[in-house]
Amino acid sequence: MHLRIDKLGKRWNGQPVLDGVTFAAGASDFVCLLGPSGCGKTTLLRIVAGLTPADTGTVWLDGRDIGALPASERRMGLVFQSYSLFPDRDAAANVAYPLRLKGRRGAEVTRRVGELLDLVGLADQGTKYPGELSGGQQQRVALARALATEPELLLLDEPLSALDPGLRSQLRTDIRALQRSLGIPTIMVTHDRNEALSMADTIICLREGRIEQAGTPRDLYERPRSRFVADFIGRANLLPTSFVRDALPGFLERRPPGGDGTFELCLRPEDLVIHADPRGEATIEDVTFLGNHARAALAWRGRRLIAELPGHCTLSRGETVAIDATRGAWVCA
Amino acid sequence: MNVAAIARPLSRPRIGTWLLVGLPIAALCLFFLHPLATVLWRSVTDAHGHVTAANYLRLFDDPGLPRAALHSLSIGLGTTLVTVAFGLCLAMALHRSRLPGKPLIRGVLLLPMLAPSLVIGLGLVCLLGRNGLIHRLTGLPTDIYGFWGLLIANTIYSLPQVVIVLSAALERTPSRHYDAAASLGAGAFRQFLDVTLPRLRFAMVAAAFLVFTETLTDFGSAVVVGGNYRVLAMEIYSEVVGQMDFGMGATLGVLLLLPALLSVALGRMARRRQDAGEGVVGQPLVPAKQPARDIALGAASVIALLPMLAVVATVAYVSLVRLWPYDPTLTIAHYLDMPEGYGPVATSLGVSFAAALGGIALVFALAAGLRSLPPHWARPLQFLATLPAAVPGMVLGLGYVLAFNHGPLSTWLYGSAAIVAACSFYHYHAQAFLTMQAGMRQVPGALEDVVSSLGGRTRHVLRDAILPFAAPATIAGFFYLFMRSMVTLSGVIFLVTPDLGLASVSVMRLDENGFLAQAAAYAMCVVLAGALALGAMRLALYVLKDRRHVA
Repeated sequence: MHLRIDKLGKRWNGQPVLDGVTFAAGASDFVCLLGPSGCGKTTLLRIVAGLTPADTGTVWLDGRDIGALPASERRMGLVFQSYSLFPDRDAAANVAYPLRLKGRRGAEVTRRVGELLDLVGLADQGTKYPGELSGGQQQRVALARALATEPELLLLDEPLSALDPGLRSQLRTDIRALQRSLGIPTIMVTHDRNEALSMADTIICLREGRIEQAGTPRDLYERPRSRFVADFIGRANLLPTSFVRDALPGFLERRPPGGDGTFELCLRPEDLVIHADPRGEATIEDVTFLGNHARAALAWRGRRLIAELPGHCTLSRGETVAIDATRGAWVCA
Repeated sequence: MNVAAIARPLSRPRIGTWLLVGLPIAALCLFFLHPLATVLWRSVTDAHGHVTAANYLRLFDDPGLPRAALHSLSIGLGTTLVTVAFGLCLAMALHRSRLPGKPLIRGVLLLPMLAPSLVIGLGLVCLLGRNGLIHRLTGLPTDIYGFWGLLIANTIYSLPQVVIVLSAALERTPSRHYDAAASLGAGAFRQFLDVTLPRLRFAMVAAAFLVFTETLTDFGSAVVVGGNYRVLAMEIYSEVVGQMDFGMGATLGVLLLLPALLSVALGRMARRRQDAGEGVVGQPLVPAKQPARDIALGAASVIALLPMLAVVATVAYVSLVRLWPYDPTLTIAHYLDMPEGYGPVATSLGVSFAAALGGIALVFALAAGLRSLPPHWARPLQFLATLPAAVPGMVLGLGYVLAFNHGPLSTWLYGSAAIVAACSFYHYHAQAFLTMQAGMRQVPGALEDVVSSLGGRTRHVLRDAILPFAAPATIAGFFYLFMRSMVTLSGVIFLVTPDLGLASVSVMRLDENGFLAQAAAYAMCVVLAGALALGAMRLALYVLKDRRHVA
């Protein structure tokens, strides 16, 4: 199964929601559409699902243009943030629903529903109603229902956003494992960078309807191409060229050519190497202890930087430190 | 993150959607816009179809008309003041007091909704008329006909609706506002001034407009207790029924339409301001102990509710009297041998059932269809669907006579029960539609999308995603239409024929001819049918709640 999105465009009330979006997803890829509210990621997912028509561009599935197919004929499995189960049907009936729509009856449905509930770890919960299940269990039922008719593509619209943090990371792992074992291509919309970083093969970072950067999670984190991506995916200290010239001249040789205003240096908090040094130029302004690590705010040459320290580090507020860095990436300002 | 909800209207409407919207809108055009336009057209044309302003000029020739307009206005303003004042007391008693017996207050408030306004008038006449119960018991010279009778009848009729509107606003005020005010040192009265009143402002404006329109356009009380105090509704009735002057009737109808339109528009504006407030309701409020407040609210409630109870009880009593007011022997003869037979009651039941069933199907389809239309289509259609709220029943009824009794459609529709059912339904279209729409707002958009993406058609979306959530609203809307159709008089008064009697019209005719006991018996049949329908609705909603697993 191969999905290709070609120059997709969508306007809403004259405002561009999507503008020339192009990407491809391979046979068993897990693609995350990541971006802030209003970046067009949900619209993109809805266009792929056939719930919203695109203004321009094409959606290819295995070389077929599926743009004209209504949602009901696309064979996509859809899971939403929440409230997408039939409240008046129990879990088994919810999972059976798409099978019955396809005209299947009797023992075949019972067997398949059993398999699916087993797959999502709810083999014994079939007779419970959505109101009697936890949020995580409801999403598992929704997942089983989406998989019931063996969809060509699994589409997840912020499936974990309504869950408690503990449940969220458990379900994150489970969904990814399930997707790997079934080998079904999946697109997930999220605004949670940790979700995207931990689950995706490919992250597509969207901003105002355009693709800002696409690549592996590591690519986006370590080599963000723009200030927006650097900021959105993880914490970043963004330093202007003039500052780098004085403070960290070693980075200048790696800098792409261009005027002072065109590029900034992105240093992740863990890229900053800190050690106590009475002759150092930086002062620790604040330390937030977080158990396994600590986050320090530093004043250095008139700027405020965030650094990450190991949890056992005993540096405290007011201490003078020296700063060094070797890892870092230049990003478009 | 609710992008899905924002993105909903982007979907391209499917054929199913257009079918869902098309039929109800076509029916609205035929059975609402068309009669309304006919009234407007007749008011500016003469008998030969030539455009003329003569009808409007004649308004000034007849000295009775400006006086009737003045009367209507005074009654409207008076009733509005009294009703909103008592309504505020009752709503406060229900939601901001520790009064015992709140279910009793709610129960008594149901009475006027079960009875046509005509029945309230009838009860008042039997109680306080020249030969009324009070006069016979005490010998006091009572005479209820005229301004005060109309004021009392209209107040009783409108009070429950005002209490509903104000209660909704009181329920929406979260208790944390009172906690905040109390912690800042505000006493009980300051809290009322600073927290309660500001949040009630718009509800009170909306309620006031509601009462004003209702009173201005009410026909039932006017015909029974108005006496020589003629109001505009009575003038229309006598122009049309008495003198067969349809042009003049239409002109007066337009005159009645203007203030009604204005007040509905203003009321809607007020409500929009109100809705802009917060929708989240926190902890329910537990009123503090304050005997003085409870005694005052209790006294006001008794003053407001006692007449209600007395009036309906009087009608019940009179219906059981052999010959009112001369022979007070109790008998059930009037129920066994009704002067016009059981026919009118059966017709009323049938017409109301048809109006409710057909009506709820149409508003269901319309509300469901509008969900998936883009806003530039949905907004004007939404406006059209709520427009009937601004059209007085008499004006609509007159439009029906003009449009259907003599037109190409008259051969099928004239004097048919269907046309009466249609008129009853379209008179209450806006409220039923809004109820349905509020119910459908409970349907999660995600569920509809899931059904579509799993391969479901429009009919599957309707059955599996929308209906389970909209079922309570559907039931409530059905019984609302049924009960309203049972009691409506102003809309259908022009449509009945000798072969097609309705219970509420029988009450009016018998009352006009002085057969008060027999009129009361018909009235009680209507009240009873309404009470049974209300009971059935409660039962249906209870059973549904039990079977539904909606959290």
